[in-house]
Amino acid sequence: MAVDITLLFKASVKTVKTRNKAIGVGFDSPKDEIFKRSRPKSGFSPKAKEVISNITKLKDFLLQHRKDYVSAGSLISSDLTRMTDNERDQIDQDAQIFMRTCSEAIKQLRNEAEKQVTSAQLRKHRGAVLDLIEVYLRGVCKLYSEQRAIRVKRTVDKKRLVLEVPDNPVNLWDEGRTEDELSPEEVQMFEQENQRLVSEMNSLVDEVRQIEGKVVEISRLQEIFAEKVLQQETEIGSIHQLVVGATENVKEGNEDIREAIKNNAGFRVWILFFLVMCSFSLLFLDWYDS
Amino acid sequence: MAASVREKQAVALKRMLNFNAAPLKNTAAEPVWKVLIYDRFGQDIISPLLSVKELRDMGITLHLLLHSDRDPIPDVPAVYFVMPTEENIDRICQDLRNQLYESYFLNFISAISRSKLEDVASAALAANAVAQVTKVYDQYLNFITLEDDMFTLCHQNKELISYHAINRADIQDTDMEAIMDTIVDSLFCFFVTLGAVPIIRCPRGNAAEMVAVKLDKKLRENLRDARNSLFTGENMAAGQFSFQRPLFVLADRNVDMATPLHHTWTYQALIHDVLDYELNRVVMEEGAGPEPSPAGARPKKKNRKTYDLTAADKFWQKHKGSPFPEVAESVQEELDTYRAQEDEVKRLKCIMGLEGEDEGAISMLSDNTAKLTSAVSSLPELLEKKRLIDLHTNVATAVLNHIKSRKLDVYFEYEEKLMSKSTLDKSLLDIISDPDAGTPEDKMRLFLIYYITAQQAPSESDLEQYKTALLDAGCDLSPLNYIKQWKAFTKMAATPANYGNSGVKPMGLFSRVMNSGSQLVMEGVKNLVLKQHNLPVTRILDNLMEMKSNPETDDYRYFDPKMLRGSESSIPRNKNPFQEAIVFVVGGGNYIEYQNLVDYAKVKHGKKVVYGCSELSNAAQFTKQLSQLGQK
Repeated sequence: MAVDITLLFKASVKTVKTRNKAIGVGFDSPKDEIFKRSRPKSGFSPKAKEVISNITKLKDFLLQHRKDYVSAGSLISSDLTRMTDNERDQIDQDAQIFMRTCSEAIKQLRNEAEKQVTSAQLRKHRGAVLDLIEVYLRGVCKLYSEQRAIRVKRTVDKKRLVLEVPDNPVNLWDEGRTEDELSPEEVQMFEQENQRLVSEMNSLVDEVRQIEGKVVEISRLQEIFAEKVLQQETEIGSIHQLVVGATENVKEGNEDIREAIKNNAGFRVWILFFLVMCSFSLLFLDWYDS
Repeated sequence: MAASVREKQAVALKRMLNFNAAPLKNTAAEPVWKVLIYDRFGQDIISPLLSVKELRDMGITLHLLLHSDRDPIPDVPAVYFVMPTEENIDRICQDLRNQLYESYFLNFISAISRSKLEDVASAALAANAVAQVTKVYDQYLNFITLEDDMFTLCHQNKELISYHAINRADIQDTDMEAIMDTIVDSLFCFFVTLGAVPIIRCPRGNAAEMVAVKLDKKLRENLRDARNSLFTGENMAAGQFSFQRPLFVLADRNVDMATPLHHTWTYQALIHDVLDYELNRVVMEEGAGPEPSPAGARPKKKNRKTYDLTAADKFWQKHKGSPFPEVAESVQEELDTYRAQEDEVKRLKCIMGLEGEDEGAISMLSDNTAKLTSAVSSLPELLEKKRLIDLHTNVATAVLNHIKSRKLDVYFEYEEKLMSKSTLDKSLLDIISDPDAGTPEDKMRLFLIYYITAQQAPSESDLEQYKTALLDAGCDLSPLNYIKQWKAFTKMAATPANYGNSGVKPMGLFSRVMNSGSQLVMEGVKNLVLKQHNLPVTRILDNLMEMKSNPETDDYRYFDPKMLRGSESSIPRNKNPFQEAIVFVVGGGNYIEYQNLVDYAKVKHGKKVVYGCSELSNAAQFTKQLSQLGQK
């Protein structure tokens, strides 16, 4: 639907050039083009681009190792693809440090941009650029936390599998032992105790697993709450400002009213005085005249 | 037309904003920032389609008007979206000289002429900035899409192509040519974006015919030009999903003069009539206090609120065509559902408080955490719903206030009766001389409709009586002169339009609909129910689409740009009924016709109808144009 007329444009440029040459209009010599614009390389743009490239590197790194990281790996898989837990922890730590540095860098850029005296549009533009970078970083962080959540779930599931397996070996072991040392009743008692312990452990494990799940959920919720509380904090701050301003205004208003009352009273006193003086002067004139 | 026109235009805009490459679906893609520069035309096109947040998501950090003061922002590409007019080109050249941005992507809303392109080229040369002008495109997006199936041609400078401009007595040929060219250019852009070549039908002897002839010529030229035809390649592929070509019906405003003046009863049309509603945005004043403030106090500040009525607003999409009382009820329903959900969330809080003390409550806790999670995740939706409900409550209350103060329901009922030629129970004179029923403008509208729809002109004495009554009420009588002329003219030409039978039943005997606890108490406002009827434009469309034979439309001319030889005959070659149609009214359209067409399309399953007009005017603006015409 949209027609690309760039070629047409370039053709018109050529036409205009030849026309100018024909007319003999002097235009800037091509030498200037070599010097190009030595525009002030304001440090903002390259730095911002650097931050973005860093975040992209992190994203690529995470995506690259995602398969290995997430692979539950059966107990008998090739060692090449499996990552040890140490490696996974290492990746977690590195990723976290990296994300922290990136957000620090963004904050720093923001402060720098605020300090620099520039036009309003340029400031707005830079603010918006930093917002975009932050959103990008948040997206990559989400990737990371998703990965991590999957990993936690897998380890929890794995532990469950591991716990249920030792049940059988324990029982076999019991039965294989020689019965010279213990009487059959004691053996039975031991067996019962074992069963009891095992079932107790199982229930504990169940409870712990449930609690872990809940805690993860609660931590997520808590994150949301914290965000909301911070929002409310800013709002409360502004309301506080307004209220302070309002009290100031009311105080001043009271002062003004007090002033007005005083003036009113003073005015009345003067009027009274004037009237009394007038009446005295009338009486005096009257007495003087008669 | 698999995707609607609105989606196609939005997709085209997004492509343009992505430097004319297809936008990637990658969720975590690297941000590329850019600056968007538009002129007023571009602003009108973009604002109904993309919100500021969507622009931000596409990486646009700043969006500025072309003719404002702009500071240099180095290292940033700039996307221009402007009309190729002289001032705009000059301003672009100035920008190139001042080297405001790093690279320039020029997108012209409609095709730029060769000479203007050379102007830009010479300016770029002079500024040594040729390398910076990275791309130049003709976007062919010179129309404004307001809804999925409604578009208009322009909003800025709309008086240049308004009804008044086309029909005034002192119009020159050159002016007319210029107006026709503007309209045809926009229609051409519309069909390029749609990707289909229509079959054109138009009446004889008026502005619509001129538009049709020119449009046919332009489409034909473009189709013949094999090298850069715009209707080949991927455009055609998209359009070929529908095996038929759409029908394009051109109508002139003169075929139906009563509808623009009509008082209406559906939600969207009412908002357009009564409030300030442009480009899907309502501007209202809040806190209109009826009592005068006590002496000495500072006057209460009225703040203006703007509301955007968008496609994402589900309530709006469902109810914009419903009669007003239905809207009031639905708002109340939505409010109730919202309150119920809010109460549930609050109740959860109490439950949580209690359960925290219980010892072995792990199992119950799990249930509650699940509930809590779902409640928290649904909070943003709830907030959004609340915002929409507030918005609609405010808007509907404002409309209701207007209805009550101007007694618009009485006018509506009366006009419906006039237009359907059923018996009138109150005399026109009563309504006109009633001092508290509506503004003088309302009375003038009513009288004009009466005059237009009367079979014979009222006698001289009657007319004088009406005129004095109107003058007493404070109306301006100049529209009447023009309508007299128009009526004389159309009586010669054809039979006057028949508005079909419409019945208006006042619902029941109660004249008040009280909703308990509702803020929208419709006391004293009659609850009128609309019976389906067809306006003249809808009937014309019906005849043409179904190939029915009707004396009104048999006379229409037939154009097919794809045929090798243009023929003068008005015999359609295609005998099958059409599945898709585009109706375009030259000289001004309104939401009432749009709503009527939407209702018609709903009744006929499988047919798609798109409504377009050269400009949207509500009754007040139209009356003003008529009075200007009558004063000559």
